[in-house]
Amino acid sequence: MSNNTDPINENEAQGNENTRRAFFKKFGLIGAVAATGGAAIYSGYRYEESKPDRDLVKVLTADNRLVEVPRDQVKDVKVDLTRLQKLGREGLKGHRWVMVIDLAKCRNARQCVAACQNAHHLRPYEYHINTLVMQESKSTAPYYMPKTCQHCDNPPCVAVCPVDATFKRQDGIVLIDNERCIGCRFCIAACPYSARMFHWEEPLMAEEDKGKVYNIELNVPQRKGTISKCLFSSDRLREGKLPYCVSACPNGVYYFGDENQDAVTNGTTKETHRLSELLRVNGGYHLMPELGTKPRVYYLPPKNRLFEFVDPREQNKNQEKV
Amino acid sequence: MKKRYLSLLLIFVITLRLSAQQEWIVPAENLSKLSTFAFSDSTRKAGMNLYITNCKSCHGDPGKNNVIKLVPPPVDPASDRMQANTDGGMYFKISQGRMPMPTFKNILSPTDVWVVISYLRSFNPKYAQEVAPKVLTGAMVQNVKIHLNWLKEKDQVQAVVSGTKDKIEQPVAGAEVKLFAKRYFGNLLIDEARNTDAQGQVLFNFPKDLPGDSTGYVQLLARLSDEEAYGESKSETTLQIGVPTYKPPLNEQRAMWNVVQKTPIWLLLSYTFTVLAVWAFIFYVLFQIRAISKSGLSKDQDTID
Repeated sequence: MSNNTDPINENEAQGNENTRRAFFKKFGLIGAVAATGGAAIYSGYRYEESKPDRDLVKVLTADNRLVEVPRDQVKDVKVDLTRLQKLGREGLKGHRWVMVIDLAKCRNARQCVAACQNAHHLRPYEYHINTLVMQESKSTAPYYMPKTCQHCDNPPCVAVCPVDATFKRQDGIVLIDNERCIGCRFCIAACPYSARMFHWEEPLMAEEDKGKVYNIELNVPQRKGTISKCLFSSDRLREGKLPYCVSACPNGVYYFGDENQDAVTNGTTKETHRLSELLRVNGGYHLMPELGTKPRVYYLPPKNRLFEFVDPREQNKNQEKV
Repeated sequence: MKKRYLSLLLIFVITLRLSAQQEWIVPAENLSKLSTFAFSDSTRKAGMNLYITNCKSCHGDPGKNNVIKLVPPPVDPASDRMQANTDGGMYFKISQGRMPMPTFKNILSPTDVWVVISYLRSFNPKYAQEVAPKVLTGAMVQNVKIHLNWLKEKDQVQAVVSGTKDKIEQPVAGAEVKLFAKRYFGNLLIDEARNTDAQGQVLFNFPKDLPGDSTGYVQLLARLSDEEAYGESKSETTLQIGVPTYKPPLNEQRAMWNVVQKTPIWLLLSYTFTVLAVWAFIFYVLFQIRAISKSGLSKDQDTID
C-alpha cells in the first residue's frame, strides 16, 4: 500500500513546487508586459504633447463655407451601395410623378436626348428617349414624338422579371437594378412601348466609371449585359429639380410634376399649370390605352403648330451632300 | 458642276447663319435699364450662390473658361465679350434667354437677376455701377407687407398690402399683386394678377378643387409685380384651404407585377393548393408502395410457416 501512496505524495509535492514556480513566472511576465506597455503609452503621450499644434486642413462644406478641420479628424465619406439601393427601392413618399409631352411644340431639337445620354453615360445611338417621326396616314401631317418609358401603373415589364431586378416604387417610377439584372431581356419583350435598351457592348464610360458606387436612381455605372431605361431622372427629383430631358428642352415640349398636387411645371418656361386643366383643355391622351398599362406619361396632340415640319431623313441627306 | 456650286452656296449660307446666331441683339429700350439698388459685397455673395445653382452648369467658373459645348457656346462671365454688355443688356438676356439659354424670368425674380449681375460685374475691375434714380410711382413706400386672409364664405383669398410712407404705415393702393400656390417644381398662379383698391385690399378667387396636403394645408405666396417701385416684397402663408389629399403609394396594391409579399390572393391560393396536392399525391403513392410491400411480406411468412 505504501508503495502506492508514495508516488502520489511525490507528485503532489512536485505539483505544488511547479505551481509556485509557474506563478512567479507568470507574475514576472505580466509585470514586464505591463511595464513595457505603460512605458509605450507614456512615451506616446509625451510625443503627442510635444507635437506642435495639430495639422489643420481647409474643407469646403456642403453649404459653401470654408472651415478648418484637424487632419486626423477628416474622414472620407463612403457612398454606401446598400443605402442607395434602399433609397432607390423606396422612392419619394407622397408623390406620384407625371410627365406631359406637348407634341405641338416638338421640333426635334434633340436637346432632351443629348442631356439624357450625357447624364446616364450613353452612346449617341443608345436611347432612353426616342424621338419618332409619326404620320398616321399619307394625307395627314407628320409630327415628332419623343417617347420615354411610360412608367406604367400596371407595368408588364415588372411582372415578367424573374429576379425582381425591375420594380415599381411608391411614387410611380419603374426602375431597374443592375446589381440584380441577369440580362434575360424578358422585360424588353414584354414592354409594348419599346422603352428599354440592352447593353450589348461595354458601356460608353466603362473605364471612367470603374470603381464608382452604383447609383440605382441614375443607373450609373452602366453595366454590359444588363438593361437600361428611362428613370424619370429620379436622382434629380430627390433634389427637387426637374428631369434632365425636361429642363434641357428649348421648345417647351415637356411638363413634369406631381399628380397628387395636380400641378405640372414646364421645363423651358418654368411656368406651373394645373395638370387636370392642361389635359382637359388640350385633349391629353395616353399611348395605347387599350392595353390597360395605365401609363404615367400623357401626350397633348400636335395641333396649331407654328413651324414647318422638316423630315430628319431629308436633313441628314442635305448634310451628307455638304 | 451645278452640285458643287450648290454646295458652296449652302456652306456660305450656313456660315452666314452661324455668324448671325452669334449676335444677340437687345432691343434698344432695354439697353439702358439700371438696377434700383447699389451692388455690394452682400449682393455679390448672394449672386454667387444664385450663379452656382442656376448658371454654373453651362457657364462654368468665371475666368476659367470651362463652359460646356453648346451651339452657340455659352460665354465666360469674366470675358470681355460678356462684360461689354450694358447692365440692361445683361438683364434682358438673363430674363428672356434664347436657344439654348433658358429664360429665367419665371425662375429668378427681378431682384435676383440684378443680384446675379452684381456678381458677374465683380469680375470686371473697370466697372463702375450706375444706379437708377428712385422711381416715383411707388411714392417712396417702404417696408411693404402683404397679409393673406381666407374668406371662407366667398372661397376667396384676401391680400392686404401695406407699407410705410413718411414714417406712417398705410395701405398701398393700385399695386399689382400675384398669388401663387407652392408646388414641388414651381409656383402655381392662382386666379390672375390683380390690383389693390384704395384700402390696399385685393381678392383672389381660390379654386375649390386644388389639392392641399393630407390635412388640406396649402402654402401660399403673394408677390407684388412691380419690384422696381416697391422693392422685393413677398409673403408666404400656409392656410388650410385645399382639398385634403391622401393617395396611397402606387406599389401598395396586390398585383402580378408587385413583390412576393404583394402577390394576388388567387395566385397565392392556387399555387399553394397545387404544391400541396402534388406532395399529397407523392406521399399517397409512397404509402401505397409501403402497404403493398408489407402485405407481400406477411404472405411470404405465411407460406414459410
